Formats: sequence, C-alpha cells, structure tokens
Amino acid sequence: MLRSMKYDIRAIRSVLIVIAGLFLASNGNAQTIASFIREAAVENGFLPAVDTHRQTNLQLAGLGQRFFESKFLSLNGNIACVDCHLDKLSSADGIANAIGVGGVSSGQDRVTAGGAIVPRNTLPMWGVGGIGYERFFWDGKVDGSSGNEIISQFGDEAPTTDALEVAVHLPVVEIREMLQEDIFVHSAKKESVESADRVYKAILDNLHVNEADAVEGLSNYLQIPLREITYQDVASAIAEFIRTKFALQETKFHNFVFNDGQLSDSEMLGARIFYGKGKCAVCHSGPYLTDFEFHTIAYPQRGFGKNGFGVDYGRFNVTHKPDDLYKFRTPPLFNIVATSPYGHSGSIDSIATAIVGHFDPLRIFNSAEATNFERAEYYKVMLAASEDLLKIAFLSDNEVESVIAFLGSLSFEPSFPSENEARRLNR
Amino acid sequence: MSILAKANIMVLAVVILGAAIFLARPSIATYLWGAKYKTAMFQCDNVMREHLVAKTAMEASPGVDSLKNLKAAELGLVDCHGYDKLRKKLIAWGLDSNDLSMLGLEALEEESYELQRYVEVHEIRY
Repeated sequence: MLRSMKYDIRAIRSVLIVIAGLFLASNGNAQTIASFIREAAVENGFLPAVDTHRQTNLQLAGLGQRFFESKFLSLNGNIACVDCHLDKLSSADGIANAIGVGGVSSGQDRVTAGGAIVPRNTLPMWGVGGIGYERFFWDGKVDGSSGNEIISQFGDEAPTTDALEVAVHLPVVEIREMLQEDIFVHSAKKESVESADRVYKAILDNLHVNEADAVEGLSNYLQIPLREITYQDVASAIAEFIRTKFALQETKFHNFVFNDGQLSDSEMLGARIFYGKGKCAVCHSGPYLTDFEFHTIAYPQRGFGKNGFGVDYGRFNVTHKPDDLYKFRTPPLFNIVATSPYGHSGSIDSIATAIVGHFDPLRIFNSAEATNFERAEYYKVMLAASEDLLKIAFLSDNEVESVIAFLGSLSFEPSFPSENEARRLNR
Repeated sequence: MSILAKANIMVLAVVILGAAIFLARPSIATYLWGAKYKTAMFQCDNVMREHLVAKTAMEASPGVDSLKNLKAAELGLVDCHGYDKLRKKLIAWGLDSNDLSMLGLEALEEESYELQRYVEVHEIRY
C-alpha cells in the first residue's frame, strides 16, 4: 500500500515536472516569439508615437480648430471639415462614399437625406501630417515625399512648401465636396491656379464676415494686419490643428514593442501573422503602418466612382500611367477597428472582409448582384491586384480573427485639449 | 356660329396646340430619348476611357501590341458617333446644354442609387 502510494506520488511529481517544463518551454518560446515580433516591427520602421510628432503650437492649432469646425470655410456649400471627420466615428464618417455639399446629419441619416456624393470613402485623420507623412488622399494627389517639391494640382505654383497645407487647400475648392456650383463658381471653374485663387479670396471674405474673431485671432497670432491674412494662413492653422489633434499616441502595441509590454495570446498570434506569413507588413510598414505606396486590392467598387459609371481608376487619374490603374495609397492602420467601412469606395463593411479581400477577392464579391458591367470591371481590378495577390498568403478564419485582435492593439484616444480648453487658448 | 368664327377657333386651337407642343418639346424628347441618351453616354464614356488607357499604354510601352490595342480603341470611338447624333437631336428638340448636363450627370451617377439601396439593407457600423 505504502509502496503503491510512493509510486503514485512519484508519478504525480513526474507529471507536474513535465507540465512545469512544458510551461517554461512554452513561456520561453513565447518570449522568443515576442522578441522576434519586436525585432520585426522595428525592422519594418515602427517607431514610438512621439517620434512622429512635429512640434506644434497649441494657440495656432486652436485657431485651426475653429476653421476646421466652421461651415463658413465652405464658400456656398454650408459644410465644415468636421462634418465628415467626426470624433464619434474616429475621425471618419462611417459611410461608404462621403456626402459633401447638401449633406446633413451623420451616418445612415446623412446618406438617406441626400446631398452631393463625393465618390471616395472618407479617410481617417490619424497621424496625418506627422513626420514622414507626406502623401495625401487615396490617390496621393498631394505628394511631398520627394523632399524637393510638392506634386499637386497646383503644379509648380504650390501655395506653400508644406504638403499638408497644400492638401488643406483642396477640399474647399472641390465641387461637390465643399463647393457648390453657382454662377461665381462656374465662372471660376477653369482648373487654373488663378481661378482657384479667386475662390480662396472669396472664402476668406466669407470668413472675415462670419468668423471674424477667429480671423482676428489669426491676425494677432501672426502679427500681421487683418486684411493681409490669406487663405494660406487659414490653411496653415488648420494643418496645425490636424497635426496636433490627430497625432499618433502610444498604443498597446507601442508599449509591447518599446516597453516590453504584454499582448494577449490572440494579439500576439495576430502580430506574428502580420509580420510573418500574412506579409501584411510588406505594405503596412513604417511608423504609420503604411508604405505610402500605391497598390491594388481587389475590393468591389461601391458608388459611381471618380471616373463615373462605377469606375475608379485611382492613382491613374493623377499620373496617367497604365501601371497605376486601380491603385490606391496603402491606408495607415491606427484606430482601424473604429473606422469602417473600408476601401477607397467604402465597399467593405467589416475588417474581416477587408483582410479576406487581400487574398480571396472572389469570396467578397457578390457576383449574383453585380451587373454585367460591374463584373467586367471587377475582372480588371482583380488583374491589377494579381501582382500583389501572388505574394499574399491564405489565412484561415481564426487567423484573420487574430490579425483583427492585433489591429485592435493599434487603437488610441486623441490627447488634444478639449474644445473648451482650446477656446481658452485662443483668447 | 359662322364658318369664319369656326375657322378662327380652329386656327386658335391649332396655334395653342402648336405652342404647347413647342414648349413641351424638351420634356417630350427627354421622355422619348432620355434613357437612350444615358446609355449612349455610358457607351461613349466607356470607349473614351478605354482609348485614354490605350493611348497612355502606347506612350508607356510602345510596340506592336500597344499599337494594335490603340487602333482598336480608336475604332471603338465610333460608339461616340451615335451619342453625338442623339445629342444633336435632343438639342434640335429644344434641350439646352444645362438639360443635357443634367441628363449626363444622372447617367454618370446612376450608381449613386446603389448607395442608398446599400444603406437600406446594411447597418452602418459605428
């Protein structure tokens, strides 16, 4: 009996040792994997959030907020930047195609209420204008990444040497987005810098009347006479606000990479896939998790598209290079879980579908509901995507879920002072 | 009623009817050929886009295949002839450039209705 008990104790002890050994081994393995992921993240250009911050001035940013939130920034469309970059929707608008002039309310109500459709999905603002963030819009139509010149619709007459400030010049002169076509706009519609200048001047006159204290605040801040303020100064303030409010903040993943913080098992597996077999980091690299390059992901088109009739040629519209057909700028991934729908036309409802669409486009395309023309267009999109499709690995549904968990670790809240505080800073 | 009075009434009726038809011509034309015009515009737009892509492809990588592609795309532009003819017909029926722009815009944005349909059947995530 005693002998038998002795064997039992030995057996239990052995099992416990094996379990402890397995635990230690797996823990060691997890540590090794964690260090591999940290290494991979850094190798792929991931930086502490603070390293992406430009030095900004809160007073100027506060003034910029006033203009960002003012409907008078729109000459005749009664729409503000903030109408499509909503706090409650993580700086996006939660709808597939943006609704510009004539838009009211938000979300579903905004779509059903009508208004002019801007045929692209609103891009979230996180990180915009930080250090190294020099390409703007889905098709990169404003590009300061060369460091020498800014490529934009202004040609060699860019109003400023700051790419974000140039980008801030565009929505207000974009018909449907923030400008409604009336007799004045029709007369100025010549796609020339001079005609755009007439509109900027008219916008500024509008602000002088309706946002007089903000313009005066800008005049005081810049220490120039009120009448010498230009739209460029307003754009500069808005850019300062964007850089300040939407600056990247430390996330759980930053903490993991740079402070030996922890990720959950699922997040860890997701990170392993992201930097490993999923090859996500080939394009989603750098401090903003984008290479700022142009790629095709075979997402179906929703809405009439930039080229009309349900077609959007993407980057091609900027470069006129056939290789750029259907290509769009890789989107950054911070706060991505809160900014659905996805894709340049917002045709992707969920983040799981967005991931699956990278490697299995047929699964996300509803062929039965598509028109013959939509199907024909989609083949072309798939063909354009094929170059990248060759590289992207298949992921199981569980793996996709893990990647989503990892992407959740890239979330943060903005640290910009509250509206009241900003108002106080303006005084 | 005298014959002269009857004749006057008839002439007046014809004039009123003629004036009504004249004024209603754009609406009648839109009713009769509006849909056809939108289709023609879609087809013309399509071949023009294809032509632009073929032209840029020829510039980017000149060669026999690119040239054949471009020539085919040029021939494809014949589709725009039907569109042009219909456009002139509509102008003759009294539509002005604003009316035609509006029809064109409706055609161009036809897919926007799909957006509203989408909203009705899918919940937008917040």
